[in-house]
Amino acid sequence: MTKINLTYHLKNIRHYYGNTKVLDIEDLKIEKGSITGLIGPNGSGKTTLLKLLAFAGRPTAGNILYNGRQEFPFSPTIRSKVTLLTQKPYLLKRTVFENIVYGLKIRKDKEYLETRVKKALSTVGLDYQDFAPRKWHELSGGEAQRVAMAARLILKPEVLLLDEPIASVDAKSAKLIREASLKARDTWGTTLVIASHDLQWLYSISDRQLSLFKGNIFSTGIENIITGPFEKINGESLVKTLGDGQAITLKGPAPKVCTAVIKKDSISIDLKKQAGDSGLNQLSGLLASMLLEKKSGHIMATVSIHDLSFVLRLTPDKISRLNLYPGKKVILRFHSNEVEWI
Amino acid sequence: MDFIVAGFIKAIELLVSGDSSTWTAVLATLQVSTCSMLLSIGAGLPCGFVIGYFDFKYKKHVRTLLDTLLALPTVFIGLAVYAFISHQGPLGEMGLLFTLTGIAIGQTILAFPIVTAITASTIENIDQDLKLTLVTLGAGKRHIIATCLWEVRYGILAAAVTAYGRVLTEVGISMMVGGNIKYQTRTVTTAIALETSKGLFADGIALGIVLIMIAFIVNLSLSFLRRQ
Repeated sequence: MTKINLTYHLKNIRHYYGNTKVLDIEDLKIEKGSITGLIGPNGSGKTTLLKLLAFAGRPTAGNILYNGRQEFPFSPTIRSKVTLLTQKPYLLKRTVFENIVYGLKIRKDKEYLETRVKKALSTVGLDYQDFAPRKWHELSGGEAQRVAMAARLILKPEVLLLDEPIASVDAKSAKLIREASLKARDTWGTTLVIASHDLQWLYSISDRQLSLFKGNIFSTGIENIITGPFEKINGESLVKTLGDGQAITLKGPAPKVCTAVIKKDSISIDLKKQAGDSGLNQLSGLLASMLLEKKSGHIMATVSIHDLSFVLRLTPDKISRLNLYPGKKVILRFHSNEVEWI
Repeated sequence: MDFIVAGFIKAIELLVSGDSSTWTAVLATLQVSTCSMLLSIGAGLPCGFVIGYFDFKYKKHVRTLLDTLLALPTVFIGLAVYAFISHQGPLGEMGLLFTLTGIAIGQTILAFPIVTAITASTIENIDQDLKLTLVTLGAGKRHIIATCLWEVRYGILAAAVTAYGRVLTEVGISMMVGGNIKYQTRTVTTAIALETSKGLFADGIALGIVLIMIAFIVNLSLSFLRRQ
């Protein structure tokens, strides 16, 4: 039974474009009032997932329950509750004011429009007098993004879906979009799902992160994806040789499967290599960045090893014990058995 | 060369003096072209929208047919309309032959594929993000259609201008269906053809100037609308 505090419950979702499977989600729950971050490379299925969550399309197979009920895509009821801000927001060929009130007008909600537009614009850091009369082509990329955001916020949506909201905006706009998103959640209990490549920004806003790769979802957040080709040795091990000569050895299944996932919790970090265990991968790299995971208080560390980036989760204790800082040379360690193939 | 210069001078004289045969031709032209434009936009706009917006079986075939109709020769349309509205034709009893209504029908047939095809192309080229944006802002089908049409209003204006240019300057239909009857069905283009064949270049040039002026005023009005 789906609990009522869930905004979304996705069950056995499969979605295809032609013969290509773009989404494969067995079970995904999104709680009411939560902020969920979606991480993944281009083509991983983030936008498709957001479109399905916006009920702008129907999955090829599976069910999406909204507030415990199956909703029909494109139904007017659901459209008034869920809104999506696309990566390249389309502004209507009208003034900023008319763009912002469009959603209200089609809901036949025409009261105090000026006051509400003023408020929506100020939420995204734009001045009413200056921006309301401007035409769509008189805005910069960041301003257009914020106007589009204001057009969604004025609707006080139950769900706000943001697709790469800060992809083409400056730091100030990114900060304002973050603040506006948090305000929507805190004021109206809006549930947010945000896709972004900017991990630092995403981690600073979201309660949990989901990672997508080739349509598969990892509820544990960002994970390490290693794509092929792999070289098969000794019948059961697959080896990927990096450009700097280091090699990753993994216990491999069928040769056709060529994408490995190494969970971040399976990776440890040290300053020196350890002797012994031949099944252990020990790779030398540089600590590239560290991010605070708001909810757990852990640090997400990214280590660059030649052209690959590995993410792992560290405790603050471990960081101070090893005196870690970006730029420091480190050793990553994980066992060749600790791999999932997708 | 002299006759061309003389033609221009005569043209100005004819227009300024309010020559009745010239002005009845101008009025007839405006009447039939405006009427045919309204009819072709009324029919072509929804048809173009349906063809451009929806995916359906045989869509490609319909587009091919439409593109072929763009090249319809005016004399052929004139012939077909003549066959239908002449006394022996199925619509003969309606008495449309050698009337401005008959010309308007022919010109509507000429303009309809132009309006439809350009509208369909404009709608097909609508930014995919527009529809998604409208859907996710809560728009229903009616609002999506209305907003999409409003967003491509300049494209539709272009369709109207192109079709207007075509009907304004055609000769075949007006000549065959209208019969070029002075003070009745004589349009600017048929008058130019007649005057030139009689060697009266000045009158022809005068009417040509009028035609260009009409086209200029129409385009000026549309660009004013566009700025609004």
